[in-house]
Amino acid sequence: MNERMSEREPLIRARGLTRAFRVEESQEGLLGSFRNLFSARHRIITAVNNVSFDIHPGEFVGYVGENGAGKSTTIKMLTGILTPTAGTVEVAGIVPYEDRAANAFNIGVVFGQRTQLWWDLPVRDSFDLLRSIYRVPDDLFTRNYRELSEALHLEPLLTLPVRKLSLGQRMRCDLAASLLHGPKILFLDEPTIGLDLIAKDKMRVMLRRINQTRGVTIILTTHDMDDIEALCGRIMIIDKGAIAYDGATERLKREHVRHKVLEVEFHDYNPEVVSIPALTLVRREGNKQWLRFAPEAATIHEVISALFRDYCVKDLSIHEPKVEDIVKAIYEQGAAPKADAAPVHA
Amino acid sequence: MRDVAAEAASQVPGVAWPVVGALPPGARVYAKFTIRSFQKQLAYKFEYFVGVFNGLLFIFIFTSLWRAIYANLEAPPAAFDLEGITAFAVFAMIVRISMTQDDMSTVGKIRSGAIALDMVKPMSYFGMMLAECAGQTLFHWFTRVIPVLIFSLLAFDAALPRAWENWALLAIAWPLGYLIMFMVNYLFALLAFWFIETFSFHLMKYGLFTIFSGGIVPVDFFPEWLKPLIESLPFMYILYTPTALFTGHIAGAEALRLILLQGAWAVALGMACTVMWRAAQRKLVVQGG
Repeated sequence: MNERMSEREPLIRARGLTRAFRVEESQEGLLGSFRNLFSARHRIITAVNNVSFDIHPGEFVGYVGENGAGKSTTIKMLTGILTPTAGTVEVAGIVPYEDRAANAFNIGVVFGQRTQLWWDLPVRDSFDLLRSIYRVPDDLFTRNYRELSEALHLEPLLTLPVRKLSLGQRMRCDLAASLLHGPKILFLDEPTIGLDLIAKDKMRVMLRRINQTRGVTIILTTHDMDDIEALCGRIMIIDKGAIAYDGATERLKREHVRHKVLEVEFHDYNPEVVSIPALTLVRREGNKQWLRFAPEAATIHEVISALFRDYCVKDLSIHEPKVEDIVKAIYEQGAAPKADAAPVHA
Repeated sequence: MRDVAAEAASQVPGVAWPVVGALPPGARVYAKFTIRSFQKQLAYKFEYFVGVFNGLLFIFIFTSLWRAIYANLEAPPAAFDLEGITAFAVFAMIVRISMTQDDMSTVGKIRSGAIALDMVKPMSYFGMMLAECAGQTLFHWFTRVIPVLIFSLLAFDAALPRAWENWALLAIAWPLGYLIMFMVNYLFALLAFWFIETFSFHLMKYGLFTIFSGGIVPVDFFPEWLKPLIESLPFMYILYTPTALFTGHIAGAEALRLILLQGAWAVALGMACTVMWRAAQRKLVVQGG
């Protein structure tokens, strides 16, 4: 925690990070297939295009984007798996692709779809192997091992082989495995994918705790916007290889929420038109109407007063758009809110 | 009330193998990979019996074949008399079994994208795979090589060499041959980074290995014009060299020359592995996004 307060040096610094892939383009038809044999046409795809950001110690960053937007490619460059085509990246002072092993000591990685544990070994033996891999000193290992098995409720699982664990149990063990060596940074790729609601919730509580009590900087990629809303103070949206938004999750909501939706249930009848200036009809069903409220035209107070004065309202609720809707809107606009692309921490 | 902390402490895994504990920390992890891989093999009992049976069957086939061929020869060739060729056939097969390696696990990891998980660990992928491979081999030693060897000594006309020189040559040539084979497999496996379908490459490798390793037909029997080619491929240094040195078929200066060539191949292939791994990392498209 002290680190977060005092240290203003970013933990991760990416500048102009770019990664292009050459993909073979298949030509159509039988003739094309033969042509492919001898002269393959290539196309360059820029998966990540000139991406810059800083991440500071202790941050919990949600990194979101559609499939193929460049999320995984970015993460692979940060973890040293991929070499960038252009640009620079530094993770805790190390250039990951130049010194993959040194970088590995500083990071923990959890892939929701894959386990880093050994399938046929009891969980405890996997942990022991990881202890050797990361050369964790005995006292540190014992401390981390105890803390994590208590926090993640691993005790009953430790003697079971990984293949006997449920997905939720396995994810808990994987999370512990990624933290045994006390990394500064944790990369989580879809950590809640496939989990049921209760397991998802538990996982989120644990992640929040790890970030807050252990001060681990977390970068989370997910398709689940509820993860982001629940956990991430900051959100980075990547779209077609470029950063479309980078800023506080709250700010994203504040700035991009131009309207709320009122769900109004009327007594007895459903009026043809609700003639209140700031409201427009979205949908009607039975005795209910969903009305979009434009905050620039009136205050919410005025609108609700008018509603209750002029109509027989039985029930009313106000819906705020979720982060999911905002992110969708950003994808649809492309990288429009460019103004937000600058690092917020500057 | 149970004492959670005390229980957790008692469960903290320790170094289970004293031998491993004595190693320097850098080597310890690879030793653990070897042992773990050995343990894994124990699960496949059926394969074990089939393996022993197959080994003996092949030895029977090849020794019978050579006997049949030699029975129809007017004079045995200069390179081997009947006794020599039978011994060669028996030990070539045993050396082959003793070098059994799983050459497809890297291919599988590249295809599934699981290799990404190995790459975020602070260790050499090459070292990790070699350590795992060694564990399998160690297992094969105990479960296949020794039984097949004992059966062969009893059932076929083969005797272990008495001279210590033969054993000393084996002790050098076998590990070098093993390493060459591992690196050839590794290089072929890395091709999966560039090509989606690598089956034909592996088929080619198996073909070249079967013919040019000299394990089935000794290099001596190949026509003169083919020998330069065979000697400039790595395959004969995998099987033929350890077998010929162990059985005493080749000795003295020629034996020394072969060992030096093995060493040169090991160094060259080692460099090739490094270069190819680096290129793969630049090229790498991990499957699955």
